[in-house]
Amino acid sequence: MTDIAIHTSGLTKSYGDKAALRDLDLTIEAGEVFGLLGHNGAGKTTTVNLLTTLLAPSSGEIHVAGVDAAVDPNQVRRVIGYLPENVQFYDNLTTMENLRFFGRLSGLSKPDGRIREVLEYLDFTGHDHERVGSFSKGMRQRVGIAQAILHEPTVLFLDEPTSGLDPEGVRQLRDVIVSLNRDLGMTIFMNTHLLSEVTKTCTSIGILRQGELAYQSSLEATLEAFPGEDSLEEIYLNIRSAPVS
Amino acid sequence: MSAVLTMARQELVALRRERLPLVLLIVFVVMVSVSSLIGWLTNTTVSNVWQKTVQAGLTQAPNPFADVSPLYYARNTVIYLVLIGALMAIVVGVTSTMRDRKARTLDLVLSRPIAVPAYLVGKLAGIGAWLAMILAAVAVISWVSISLITSGPLAPGDSLRLAGFYAVAWVLLLAFVVLGMLSGIYASRETTALLVPISIWSIVAFVLPQIGTSANPVSLLNPVPSAKIPGGAFDTLNTVVSPLSVTEQFKTASGLIMASPEVTGSLTPSLFVIVLALAVGAIALLATKRDRIRGALRD
Repeated sequence: MTDIAIHTSGLTKSYGDKAALRDLDLTIEAGEVFGLLGHNGAGKTTTVNLLTTLLAPSSGEIHVAGVDAAVDPNQVRRVIGYLPENVQFYDNLTTMENLRFFGRLSGLSKPDGRIREVLEYLDFTGHDHERVGSFSKGMRQRVGIAQAILHEPTVLFLDEPTSGLDPEGVRQLRDVIVSLNRDLGMTIFMNTHLLSEVTKTCTSIGILRQGELAYQSSLEATLEAFPGEDSLEEIYLNIRSAPVS
Repeated sequence: MSAVLTMARQELVALRRERLPLVLLIVFVVMVSVSSLIGWLTNTTVSNVWQKTVQAGLTQAPNPFADVSPLYYARNTVIYLVLIGALMAIVVGVTSTMRDRKARTLDLVLSRPIAVPAYLVGKLAGIGAWLAMILAAVAVISWVSISLITSGPLAPGDSLRLAGFYAVAWVLLLAFVVLGMLSGIYASRETTALLVPISIWSIVAFVLPQIGTSANPVSLLNPVPSAKIPGGAFDTLNTVVSPLSVTEQFKTASGLIMASPEVTGSLTPSLFVIVLALAVGAIALLATKRDRIRGALRD
């Protein structure tokens, strides 16, 4: 067991001549709720895609829960959960059928009991045999969280988890994220635009700017380091607009 | 449970819920089921005409259906497999790989511990099992129909021939499934994904057999291979082109397996071409890269 949940060094991803991510050196300790901030196109989704092994890096190293992603990507996939932005399921299948599939893919031989347990934990009972195609965005997001935590991952990746949710949905999801971290000790890595959510859920933050990590610190230290700023939003805008060195 | 088995199971669940493969399946099963009936009706009609002609003293020739093999009644199935069966296999193959791209579920699937070859082999195994069940059901329908028509159970030798025919049909349909799966992976639009393999199928089933033959379009709808013009340039051209028509090879193999008197030659070359088509497709499928199957659709 390692105390470092995520570690990258010199992580770079290029598409042709264009670098989407450059020399990312990132260390996130186990048990953190880490929020990765950045404007559109800053490289947030690329970072998550690299950390979840969906993309292969152009150069650099990735370690998740002590596992080298280049050496054993399947072991990384075993210890992570992932909720993509605008999560989609097989619309003509029910909640149970979708979750059974993802549970089995994650290595659960008899997933039904665990699915019921997770749906109860997420307060999403009574929809087991309804087709996912009829669900609202908020309901899909719940099923998305359920598939991500079925196999009790060590690290959970959430890509813009509150995107498209109404205020009630945002609040519910925030409660889920906090309780997953508090009750199950999961390390959570999330990309988000909503700075208010970062303030309420994250213990540490990083700011990406034009594919480079411009800032990384704990939320507490960040708020203390910028005494003149009233909110994380102002701090973020200051860091984001500072000239790239 | 292994990833391959999980994918195969999921494929079976998904196939049960999709409408287009289901419609094609119903059409296919109905056509195959009535094919024996059509054979029986042909036999009865011709025999009645022959009887009347003999009674009128107009002929002394024997009844053309007197020595016909019981498997004669299954021969129309060959053409339904080449036409509706292959089309159904293509649609199922395209749907299979297109489903995850359309639903945008690939990132979820690939974030789980599954390798791309296992993902694709699992899908193919699921469809293979689905096709095997369908063909087994159709084989039973054929066996029962022929047994009823000939007023007695089909002999063990003929039963084995019928089983062998459906086994070859399974390989042929799997080759078309793989073609559909590849198109579902590489096409940038859903319509193109269907259009490309259907165009290839049309060329294989309708264009290639015409090159170097007597060019009689109706012959393509016969369950036996197209008639060839012996000798000369046409014959040479046909020798080169005919192995490329997997469907004509299937007709030849079927004719030989079911002991059709019109078909002669060795079974091995035809079987080799059919298996080769599947093998080449499967290799291309297994060579698919992770980034390729994550490719977004432009629809």
